[in-house]
Amino acid sequence: MTASTAGPVTRASVPVKLLAIVLAGAAVSIALGVYGHVHDPTGEKPYTLFFSDTINLKVWFATAALFLAAVQVLLALRLYDKIHVPRTAPPWLGDAHRLTGIVTFGLTLPVAYQCLWALGFQSTDGRVLLHSLLGSFFFGAFTVKVLAVRTHGLPNWLLPVVGGIVFTTLVLIWTTSSVWFWREFGFPSF
Amino acid sequence: MTFKRFVNVIEIVTLVVALGFVVALFANEPGGGAGSTAKSGPGYDVYLANCARCHGQDGQGGVGPKLAGVVTVDFPDAREEIAVVRDGRASMPSFKNDLSATQIQDVVAYTRTQLK
Repeated sequence: MTASTAGPVTRASVPVKLLAIVLAGAAVSIALGVYGHVHDPTGEKPYTLFFSDTINLKVWFATAALFLAAVQVLLALRLYDKIHVPRTAPPWLGDAHRLTGIVTFGLTLPVAYQCLWALGFQSTDGRVLLHSLLGSFFFGAFTVKVLAVRTHGLPNWLLPVVGGIVFTTLVLIWTTSSVWFWREFGFPSF
Repeated sequence: MTFKRFVNVIEIVTLVVALGFVVALFANEPGGGAGSTAKSGPGYDVYLANCARCHGQDGQGGVGPKLAGVVTVDFPDAREEIAVVRDGRASMPSFKNDLSATQIQDVVAYTRTQLK
């Protein structure tokens, strides 16, 4: 009796959970896009840390974020048993996967802040428009990923798919910014 | 401290930093601060809409080079500056499809006379 009533409730709740998570991610992406559009870009360089210029900081941070994201994908592949190196998965593998994701996210924050604050959402050419769209989309996709990790009872395919989307988006963001910078201005110094 | 607990701490710190960045986006919104200048005019409007995002609201530079007090040195003839705005140069885009000839003249005049 109990099982027959609990079953349908669980099945019905999965689409609702999925919808709520996707809506939360969409809200983040749209909020960032709207902010970038209505905010008057300042053109300022709010910080350089130990770099010679803010743009150098952004290029290096974005590159470091991409490297860590690639490491996170490899760790995920080991967690899902898609690769077998190391042969025995250490017990801390899941936490290492989390840590690389957190640090990756942390590295994107000062980059995204300067983009939003100083440049805003721009559409001066195709590259810039694509970068603006992807930048807004990335944090929405990341939100979906984090919420999907924290929500129980979701389909098994969801995390790998969303993780793949987040990683692909980061690759495209990096290509439309850091790679463009290297091609236009050369490899940046610190 | 176990590795899991260490990751939890890093996660909380990163979340706080993220919230700090979000707050900073709104707390430092320009336009109404005591330091804002009371400029106006067509050149100013064109400048704010098209140039400030790279050259800074007061022309002090940003992603693009500094303009304040420099453009008249770099471009003694205003027509040279007009040509750069119209046709673009290096990473600066062309504005010939976005601005009319009058708007380009207005914004060039603004950069040469109002940005100090």
